[in-house]
Amino acid sequence: MTPDDAILDARGVTKRFGGLTAVNDVSFSIPRRAIVSLIGPNGAGKTTFFNILTGLYKPTLGRVTFDGKDITGGRPDKIMALGVARTFQNIRLFGTMTALENVMVGQHARMKAGLFGSILRMPWVRSEEQRVREKAAEMLEYVGLRSEQHSQLATNLSYGDQRRVEIARALASDPTLLLLDEPTAGMNPQESDNLTRFMQRMRDDRGLSILLIEHDMKVVMGVSEHVTVLDHGEKIAEGDPATVRTDPRVVEAYLGKQEAERQRLQGGAA
Amino acid sequence: MSTAAAPRTRPRAPKLARGPRLALTAAAIVAGVILPFFLDAGGGFIDDATLALAYVVMALGLNIIVGFAGLLDLGYVAFFAIGAYTMGYFGSLFHIEANGGEGIHVLVTGPAAELPGIHLNFLLIVVLAIIATTIAGMLIGLPTLRLRGDYIAIVTLAFGEIVGRIALNGDEITGFGTKLTNGRQGITPVDKIDLPFIEPFTSLNLRPWYWVAFVMVLLVLFVNFRLRDSRLGRAWIALREDEVAAVSMGVPAVKTKLLAYGTGAAFGGISGAFLGSYLNTVNADQFQFSFSIFILAMVILGGLGSIWGVVVGAIALSFINNRLIPDVLNEIPGNIGLDFDLTELSFGIFGFLLVIMMVLRPEGLIPERRRQIELSEGIEDLAVDEDEEPVVHATVP
Amino acid sequence: MAAASLPGTSAAPVRALRALLGKYGLILVLAIMPVAFGIHDLRTEGDLSRLGNNLLDGLSNGAIWALVAIGYTLVYGIIELINFAHGDVFMIGSFSAAGFFGTIGLTTAVGPAGLVIGLAVTLLVAMATCGTLNVMIERVAYRPLRGAPKLAPLITAVGFSFILQNVGLLWRGGSQQGIVDLIDSQEELFAAAGVSVTHGDALAIVVTIPLVLAMTTFIARSRLGKAMRATAQDPDAARLMGINVDTTISATFLIGGMLAGAAGLIYALYQTTVWYFQGFTAGLIAFTAAVMGGIGNIRGAVLGGLIIGVIQQTSDNRIGSQWTPAIVFAYLVLIMVFKPSGLLGEETREAG
Repeated sequence: MTPDDAILDARGVTKRFGGLTAVNDVSFSIPRRAIVSLIGPNGAGKTTFFNILTGLYKPTLGRVTFDGKDITGGRPDKIMALGVARTFQNIRLFGTMTALENVMVGQHARMKAGLFGSILRMPWVRSEEQRVREKAAEMLEYVGLRSEQHSQLATNLSYGDQRRVEIARALASDPTLLLLDEPTAGMNPQESDNLTRFMQRMRDDRGLSILLIEHDMKVVMGVSEHVTVLDHGEKIAEGDPATVRTDPRVVEAYLGKQEAERQRLQGGAA
Repeated sequence: MSTAAAPRTRPRAPKLARGPRLALTAAAIVAGVILPFFLDAGGGFIDDATLALAYVVMALGLNIIVGFAGLLDLGYVAFFAIGAYTMGYFGSLFHIEANGGEGIHVLVTGPAAELPGIHLNFLLIVVLAIIATTIAGMLIGLPTLRLRGDYIAIVTLAFGEIVGRIALNGDEITGFGTKLTNGRQGITPVDKIDLPFIEPFTSLNLRPWYWVAFVMVLLVLFVNFRLRDSRLGRAWIALREDEVAAVSMGVPAVKTKLLAYGTGAAFGGISGAFLGSYLNTVNADQFQFSFSIFILAMVILGGLGSIWGVVVGAIALSFINNRLIPDVLNEIPGNIGLDFDLTELSFGIFGFLLVIMMVLRPEGLIPERRRQIELSEGIEDLAVDEDEEPVVHATVP
Repeated sequence: MAAASLPGTSAAPVRALRALLGKYGLILVLAIMPVAFGIHDLRTEGDLSRLGNNLLDGLSNGAIWALVAIGYTLVYGIIELINFAHGDVFMIGSFSAAGFFGTIGLTTAVGPAGLVIGLAVTLLVAMATCGTLNVMIERVAYRPLRGAPKLAPLITAVGFSFILQNVGLLWRGGSQQGIVDLIDSQEELFAAAGVSVTHGDALAIVVTIPLVLAMTTFIARSRLGKAMRATAQDPDAARLMGINVDTTISATFLIGGMLAGAAGLIYALYQTTVWYFQGFTAGLIAFTAAVMGGIGNIRGAVLGGLIIGVIQQTSDNRIGSQWTPAIVFAYLVLIMVFKPSGLLGEETREAG
């Protein structure tokens, strides 16, 4: 896959915090209209890498290209406006806003009303507000939030509903790339399954590319076309799910040397 | 962010339906307008009321900065000063040599039209004050609003102090043939407000002053309400609650904060210009740190972010400061046989009030729904996802 | 986050340059005043004795600021809060010291030995008073608000600042109060190269150095010191290790307060006046020092204090003391805008 058919391309991305190297020379690409996963043990640098992609951190070295544009070290809100949306590992909704308002904020970059427009509330502003509100409701419905819940304060929603709202908020801006950070954390198998199918639906309905950080192997293997594995900030393997799963380095990273040895002896190595 | 297992309902302050609310607002406005007719036109009470209204404007301005956008501004007095000095520059004898001693006059009638110095119409001065304070707000805000919260507090405090010092020592600085300020002595007298088709105001009949202040309050309230329920208002709340999430959702942090800061600054300037004329002086003693805290206390007492709360808080503190402490507290010690002037305690009482407020009822008198949740549940400001970021604190060796 | 425009190349060389500029730029800006005046002196008077005196007085004043700055930096390091009332605690220290002199009738008449003992006792009294006061402020103003947004404790701190100022106002009135000049503060001890070292200068340096050394050693070696550092790095982890975070925080406030008390005593002896409002300006000056050195960093606080002292003295002497606060605050703004991590601080997290 050449960088051209990739919606996002990262080359040689490195991030150092003082003496600690969190991400070390990681390169990978996300093809268009694909669901890919980024896995690795805790502390491998996955969220740090996400944060670099979305502009929250500036990489020490390396280059990130989105849809042909160089976004290395760009501001998060500008990157977002280009079409990159994300959710967070620990849900970060605006707790004192309603579900609907949260999703309306997600459309901030797609709205034009400024200071004077808001004060004067001219007709175009009013219709923009209306449009945004309707779209927010539509998004909440799409993710399966019951309409009675729309005007609930986000902090009062159940965990599952909060996850839904977070995804709706990310989708509201019509992104082309969606970054999901451990979306199935805390879900039971049935819910994970629903989410998996939902991701495929998003990809098919909206032509989205999705990058997933996940720990749930069933989800990873089930939905990803491509898997990249990080450990201690380095890429140690990548490929399609089946290949990666049996890669001895991956097994070792997750389960330790002994388990890798055991599996190899049992003749399972690729 | 708490991961709640089941939905909790929270007892909320009952909100009136739209009809009764409009009626109540209309009644309040009518009451406000006719109030002066029941008061002695030159008396103390209408004086207090006018002053209170001017403070309401400032408090509403600061409310946008601190209450809506959550920026800790401890230097609001700077905008008061800039607005007041705009009035002083362009509505008094300060620049007495302007135009070769003839003076510059734009749209003024009455006695000011004959005097040397620069005399512009009050409305023009207000416009200039808005421009000046907004520019100042941009200049101060641009470098500082990207800092973390408590640093913003200190830097704004420093700016407030710098402006105050310049005001104080400005009589030493000269340029373009004039002093920068008149220091402690102040610029006085200051032109009275002069509006088209109306006689210039006097210091004997305070009613027209009151009504001007009242109109200012109405305008500022209007702007506040409109902004609160808009894209910008939501952006402010989002930034305040979780800046990382907000920028990830496309909210430009610095620009959005600057808009809050500039708008708040403009209100301070408007009120400052008004007060410059009303108090008939613009002197350095008016511009001290305690003033910033005074206005901040109004916002907090009323309820951070709560528009009506701030109005109530401003009126309450204004009366306490002008009436309660000097008049009432002055008499109490005498009545109980103490040879003591309680006005000397005003500082301490004020400080005590601040402490009590924050410890007992941080959400204020009329809490704004969101702040109540924030403050009573203690939702913290998380800067960055703490799980994977290696925290690098400056270490204590 | 810096306002980086979108097309960004590998930012390392640019960032290295900016970092270099940041660190040395700050030093440059700090050095401008002394250097400029030095050159001016050489041209007008031909020697640097006036500048030398500025520097020396600056260092002695700076020693006082250093002590107060350490208090700020310790507290900020451990709970990320600016103890707004700290400057006024310092003022109370001066007042307590002055009051204590009066109470025990300490005058120059008691002779050098009596003076030393009397001052040592006063020092202990001032340190104890301010330490306790600081701890009390923490209990009342900060602890109940630990989970609240940062605005809340900041406001209570301001409130306490006002209360303390009022206490000062009631105690000794609204204007500057002269107090007995116990050590002949202005009398010259010796002179070198045209620079005059007075009793006051000597006192400041002689008291400050041991205190700072004692405290730095304490924090580096003792169990409590380790607990403080651990809590500053990660309060939750510290708690899990069995450290009583509450006690550790109180201890931090205690130490900070004690140093402020010592500073208050030195100030009173050095300046021979006290004023209820001295804490406000002192607080901001000392905080500037703490930030300049790198907030959270004790050595930085000391360094910052000394530097600010020099700037302040130079400004007082050359430009006029009515302008000094504005100049110091301007430096504060410059530091926070261009190098918030200060001279010795590491890169702390900026907003977002």
